[in-house]
Amino acid sequence: MSYLDLSIREIHEALVNGETTPLELTKEAVARAKANKENAFETICEKEALEFASSLTEVEKDNVFYGIPYIAKDNFSTKDIETTASSNILKGYVPLFDATVITKLKAAKAVMIGKSTLDELAMGGTGTTGHLGTTYNPYDPEHKRMVGGSSCGSAASTAASIVPFALGSDTGDSVRKPASLAGLVGLKPTWGRISRFGLFPFAPSLDHVGYFTRNVEDSALLLGLLSGRDDKDSTSSFKPVEKYEEKIGESIEGVRIACIKEIDESITDPALLKKYKVSIDALRKQGAIVESVEFGKDLLDSIYATYIVISCAEATSNNANLDGIKFGPNYGGKTYQDVMMTARTKGFSELIKRRFVIGSFALMRENQDVLFLRAQKNRAKIVEKTNEILSKYDFVLTPAAPGVAPLFGAKSDKLSDEYLIADNHLAIGNFSGLPSITLPLGLEDGLPLGINIMGRAFEEKELFKVASAFENITGLKGLSVINKKEGNL
Amino acid sequence: MPKGFQITQQFRPIGKEGYLTVLDKNGNEKKIGIERIHMEEDTCKQLHLADCSLLDYNRAGVPLVEIVSKPEMRSGTEAMHYVEAIRNIVVYSGTSDGKMEEGSLRCDVNISVRPYGSTTFGTKVEIKNLNSTKNIESALDYEIARQTSLLLSGTPVQQETRRYDEASGKTVLMRVKTDAVDYKYFPEPNIVPIKLSDEFVNDAIATCPELYDSKKERYVKLGLSVTDAEIILSDIKNATYFEGGLANAKSPKGLANWLIVEVNAYLNKNGIAIDEFPLKPEVLAEISNMQEGGFTHKQCADILNAVLAEGISPKEAQAKLGIQLMVSNDDEVIAAVNAVLDANPQSIADFKAGKDRAIGFLIGQVMKSAKGKFNPAVVSKFMNIEIRKR
Repeated sequence: MSYLDLSIREIHEALVNGETTPLELTKEAVARAKANKENAFETICEKEALEFASSLTEVEKDNVFYGIPYIAKDNFSTKDIETTASSNILKGYVPLFDATVITKLKAAKAVMIGKSTLDELAMGGTGTTGHLGTTYNPYDPEHKRMVGGSSCGSAASTAASIVPFALGSDTGDSVRKPASLAGLVGLKPTWGRISRFGLFPFAPSLDHVGYFTRNVEDSALLLGLLSGRDDKDSTSSFKPVEKYEEKIGESIEGVRIACIKEIDESITDPALLKKYKVSIDALRKQGAIVESVEFGKDLLDSIYATYIVISCAEATSNNANLDGIKFGPNYGGKTYQDVMMTARTKGFSELIKRRFVIGSFALMRENQDVLFLRAQKNRAKIVEKTNEILSKYDFVLTPAAPGVAPLFGAKSDKLSDEYLIADNHLAIGNFSGLPSITLPLGLEDGLPLGINIMGRAFEEKELFKVASAFENITGLKGLSVINKKEGNL
Repeated sequence: MPKGFQITQQFRPIGKEGYLTVLDKNGNEKKIGIERIHMEEDTCKQLHLADCSLLDYNRAGVPLVEIVSKPEMRSGTEAMHYVEAIRNIVVYSGTSDGKMEEGSLRCDVNISVRPYGSTTFGTKVEIKNLNSTKNIESALDYEIARQTSLLLSGTPVQQETRRYDEASGKTVLMRVKTDAVDYKYFPEPNIVPIKLSDEFVNDAIATCPELYDSKKERYVKLGLSVTDAEIILSDIKNATYFEGGLANAKSPKGLANWLIVEVNAYLNKNGIAIDEFPLKPEVLAEISNMQEGGFTHKQCADILNAVLAEGISPKEAQAKLGIQLMVSNDDEVIAAVNAVLDANPQSIADFKAGKDRAIGFLIGQVMKSAKGKFNPAVVSKFMNIEIRKR
């Protein structure tokens, strides 16, 4: 047991009491990162982290992030620290500025100890497509199971208790799915709540800054730090930042929760079904009203295709600047077309190229109507349906994944019917921009299962209230590979 | 941060279906339709050197306005007038300095030629590198002639991009165009919709500075000739100077004359611009007013020169130069004229004998006797009248 295994607030108290120091915490986090076997790191910033931590000698009592080590996904721009988004096309790229979230964490004196792996350019959900190879699930020492993606390294390192929190990004479910597979609290707040300036764009209409913590309160505290208007991101909201932890612990009596009938029916894993049902009963016992509503199977079936068309279309455009001229390695060539073609041929994996082809195809003049615009219309329909449900209910509760972490090889990026709904429905949160949080539900054969709760726009405070109640039901607060728990369900 | 795409207002332009009235090559008014006005971002400038190409991102992301006209212009002159009209608007609204030579106003021209009676347009050719309005006219007239002669000889016009070579006055092939590029436009999610309130729009219209055409109309109403108004408006700094003196000027036309003739001469001689001219517009108005008050133009010009040379006020200059107001009392002039006639019977005889020069001598005598108090024009007028009575 180490201070790193505690919550942010607990570590803060230890710092205030002089039981540990930022430097000690940082040294230990770096040591754990170096010993990590899950291939979770692009870069371990040992020198920078130790230097910064050494300067942190006056603990700020009212700043819980003071001296807390953390990890950022390697698609956040970090000044003077190589940032590759786990893609060869960005090998050697050293950003000239910090992303806004990195700036905020630096100002709060949190210590970034490393940059974590991701599926190449954050496209993918398996944690297998980064240029450093597969990132593994720390819950499976045999390395046969995925941790999910695209924020694979951040999920693995938070679950392995290297740090108490790690930044990720979420375009389809890239924080909330791996959170489920790694037994973590994964938040994707409302679109516009956290500035995305400095986050490498993938599909800006769907991109969110998200993060992993090991308990709900830490998630709420972190949102308070990272939120707020940023003139460098015109989509960031002017809404005032709230004390998001304020309602944690309040009663959930009378809270109205909708479960989606077709999503529940798409779940086949008996352990997940059982624990999910028990958790709903427990919510009811606390006075919550939990009801099953219909979403429409066709609409749910269409999520994946809609997501692929929109996200790939936006991705082709946003990644058009990765051409071997402005960033990353330039392999030369007789003409600028040659330079670009060689850089892109060598720099992108097959999966990325496939997605760019899909995106480009969907945007072609002759295809826009039937592909891109149709996907946009369908997205609007899905959002409309979601908002209709949330006009009658306060939250939507769903299983976050079809089951425990899948085995490698069982799944690829290609479209499959197997878990068409169960594996893709979290993208509703990206289509609608609504706040969505994944929480551990329980463990099956030592592997985590997760649920997801989605709330109304900018009502994160309410979301944390119900999430915290759920956390108490499962008894999995603070779960990590080191801090193993069985849970109540 | 260099992006790989350009943001443009493709789907909801600021304005569409507008027009500008310009003069065609025969001087008749003609409406040129404007399809749309939209904003977009400047991207990147390429510099091609012998052994490498450089990318200049300094202007990347800087907003610009694109104005797309309809294919309704019929001559190089019309096109030139159209661009001049746009330049006048952007300059006088304070949007841009309108300097084509510096790229703050740029223009790509598409041109096609078709036989009389044809309902479809011919193949269009794009011309780049048009860095002055005069070049637009010359390039288009050249291109009309080139395409016409191609068609008359049965050679189809190629879809291509040409550039204007100023030295030879010809357009030169840059590249042949293939199918139009598919730009794959779609909404940029990073820019949230911006709703302009009626209040904002009305305020923008209300606070728009007075534009070229309206200034010109006002100047003409003030008594300026159209040519003088255009000369003053040809440079917004000139117009600003003129406006600065208007409030104090008894005669706007007089002020305009001083600005156009004497001030311009001074600027040219010293190689300076109007905003470097040392006199405040109010001072120029004062000198112009002195002329209105009876001083001759020559006297006022002397005063102006003294003011400029010595940095004194017009009144001080007048005193120093001993300049007196011309007598405008006709009786006094007539009396002096007759006194000179009485004293010079030989000159009268000479005049009657057809020697016109004699009258010049007599006028000179009157002026001499008046010691510069008389206006020569007035003296001349009465001399001509009085001598004929003899």
